[in-house]
Amino acid sequence: VRSALDIAADVRAGRISAVQVAEATLAALARDDLVAVTRVLADRARQEAAAVDAVVAAGGDPGPLAGVPYGVKDLFDVAGLPTHAGSALYADALPATVDAEAIRRLRAAGAVLTCTLNMDEFAYGFATINATYGTTRNPHDRDRLAGGSSGGSAAIVAAGVLPFALGSDTNGSIRVPASLTGVYGLKPAHGSLPMAGVFPFADSFDDIGPFARSAADLKLVCEVLGGAAIDGLGLRVAILGGRFRDNADPAALAAMAEIAPDAPVIELPDIARARSAAFIITASEGGSFHRAALARDPMAFDPATRDRFLAGALVPRALYDEAQAFRAAFKARTAGTLEEYDVLLAPATPTTAPQIADPRILIDGALSPARADLGIHTQPISFLGLPALAVPLLRPGKLPLGLQLIGKPGGEGALFAFAGMLEETGVAGVSPPLGVLQGEMV
Amino acid sequence: MAKLPKPSFSIDPFLLCLIAVVTAASLLPVRGVAAAWVDGLADVAIALLFFLHGAKLSRAAIVQGIGNWRLHGLVFASTYVLFPAVGLALVAGLRGWANPLLLSGLLYLTLLPSTVQSSIAFTAIARGNVAAAVCSASLSNLVGIFLTPLLVALFLQVDTGGAGGGFSWHSVGTIALQLLAPFLAGHFLRPLIGGFIDRNKKILMPVDRGSILLVVYSAFSAAVVNGIWTRVGAGDLLMLLVLSALVLAVVMGVNVLAARAAGLPREDGIVLLFCGSKKSLVSGVPMAGALFAPAHVGLIVLPLMIFHQLQLFLCAVLAGRFQREAIAAEASATLPRTEAGIAAAAAAVGVAIPEACMPGVVANMALLDKHAGNLRG
Repeated sequence: VRSALDIAADVRAGRISAVQVAEATLAALARDDLVAVTRVLADRARQEAAAVDAVVAAGGDPGPLAGVPYGVKDLFDVAGLPTHAGSALYADALPATVDAEAIRRLRAAGAVLTCTLNMDEFAYGFATINATYGTTRNPHDRDRLAGGSSGGSAAIVAAGVLPFALGSDTNGSIRVPASLTGVYGLKPAHGSLPMAGVFPFADSFDDIGPFARSAADLKLVCEVLGGAAIDGLGLRVAILGGRFRDNADPAALAAMAEIAPDAPVIELPDIARARSAAFIITASEGGSFHRAALARDPMAFDPATRDRFLAGALVPRALYDEAQAFRAAFKARTAGTLEEYDVLLAPATPTTAPQIADPRILIDGALSPARADLGIHTQPISFLGLPALAVPLLRPGKLPLGLQLIGKPGGEGALFAFAGMLEETGVAGVSPPLGVLQGEMV
Repeated sequence: MAKLPKPSFSIDPFLLCLIAVVTAASLLPVRGVAAAWVDGLADVAIALLFFLHGAKLSRAAIVQGIGNWRLHGLVFASTYVLFPAVGLALVAGLRGWANPLLLSGLLYLTLLPSTVQSSIAFTAIARGNVAAAVCSASLSNLVGIFLTPLLVALFLQVDTGGAGGGFSWHSVGTIALQLLAPFLAGHFLRPLIGGFIDRNKKILMPVDRGSILLVVYSAFSAAVVNGIWTRVGAGDLLMLLVLSALVLAVVMGVNVLAARAAGLPREDGIVLLFCGSKKSLVSGVPMAGALFAPAHVGLIVLPLMIFHQLQLFLCAVLAGRFQREAIAAEASATLPRTEAGIAAAAAAVGVAIPEACMPGVVANMALLDKHAGNLRG
């Protein structure tokens, strides 16, 4: 499994061709048995790869991601294809006329789009259980969930088929699957990466971000997406306490204590209220967006999301306003505390990947649907619009588990620096899953 | 939590008692040796009142709600900056047009701390942030023990026969002896007597109010002997009512704008409105007894008595309105839970819930309702 940085260096130096990389990737994608891939974009990949090789042959610079293959969650506009957003409702939608802005930027940097990837319908879930496209399997244990809603993107990177993939994160849809499949994932500060051409879920919290197998690859992709270099240092570290410790895997707590033994444990007030407000805002915005389709043909929705969207469409405006008012007050109240630290540590998920046969997790001592509650630790961070980097704890032979490194808006540099340090000291890192399909990257 | 008084839309019964005592003092003022006895008793009553204030003040309540610095800062600024500024401006504008002692009384009331009980009660009725109100009002009262006498010494240039005309060590001594010492004694004895006082508020209220009535009787007796009613007429009382309304309107208006400018949530805006616009009769009357010459106390506290009733009336009306708005907002923010309710709500937004989906929608509504409950704490 080769990193994006290595592939780009080799392609730019002419040691391998982008077409060779693309062909090997397409072959691996064709063997996907994780139910991660929804469409293989073979023609487009070959064309983009050939264009990169042509630039190299002409002595030009194809960009920092030259020839690097990647995939996108099924909600990014890809020119010439309908944007499914994981739903049969959009199977025959009109094709997108232009690429999503994120794809345009990656293409301009030399990256090669190879596939679209599975998700919960309309991104409403933390499970990637999809009635139309199937349930994405966790490469570390195929009987377990990969997490969601960007489960296909996470699984395909964790399996080593692609060095990076794009997902979206509304309440944890990048960080949750990153934690369960053991890869890196970034939810940027709200609104900091381009959303044009991305199918919406809940505008108040929607963001896009990449998955990768190293902090350096993730940073490179973020720099291309954001159009600027990311720098910074994470010196002031604290551990989030209270609600974040109540439903945490003991391994996550032990890792945080090991990473920052002298860091203060700080408590954000009213985290449970924040999570509930986020839940209400998400339900209401999602339900409102799909109201016309729900009125037309509710039975065309995925059974797993249909009832949630129907309920969300009935949230009274006054309750939504109440939740937004709480959000404004909560942001103001926590700003001072958050300003004092560069990196806050918190678990990314309350547990390792749940079984597909019994997709429930233990929250506050009671079994609760994984689809709704795997994001219990990520949702309050989205609520504040803060950037959060999910890092996989290095634990070979065990099911993956991730931590969130949470920063200030614009403070992503500190998060990457801290993630790099964790990687160097052997605390964080990607453990290869056993017996899964692997990319035959040249 | 202690039972909160209901909003009063009528004349406060305590005000009726005050009017009765003022009438009694006017018809039967205490004179001569008896007056000295009543004065002495009033001094004891003042000390007792402040002893009880000290014992009632909960430091834990202050510490618990102290985090909301922005709100407490605004309440403090309203009580000790905005109010005095309005008072000083009014007094400067009316000098020569009204009885100077009444004007001093008007200025005096603007220098007082906020009320504790009624601020909290009105905040609770209006569905405001009660914890913050408890902290803000208690803090205001605590600071007032020190700050109000200082402000009086700084700003009250009145002919009060020695006390209150500029800063004097005499008034410092009086304050220390009559207000501070009993207050601190009560407060430091709180670990021993606080429980008893909190449990027996009903028994202690007559002591509290009786002390105030005694001070008022003593003060008005002295004032009547000095010919108060030959100097103050119905026109003066009407003028005080209008000026009190003006002060309240300015302070409340500024507080509403300040809450909006500071982006305070509704619950905190209510605290600023109620705690920031109150002046304490319970602190003001005995403090006047300690700070001013006996012959002048009656006139000095007259504006406060009128202001007190007006603030109670206005705040009761506002709190009732805010409560109705909050109830209406909660009602319109209620999620439908029954199948019939869900079907009706869905029809209202043009959606028909298929029969097969109803159990799932009901379950999701229950989950949303749980989160709505969490959101409201």
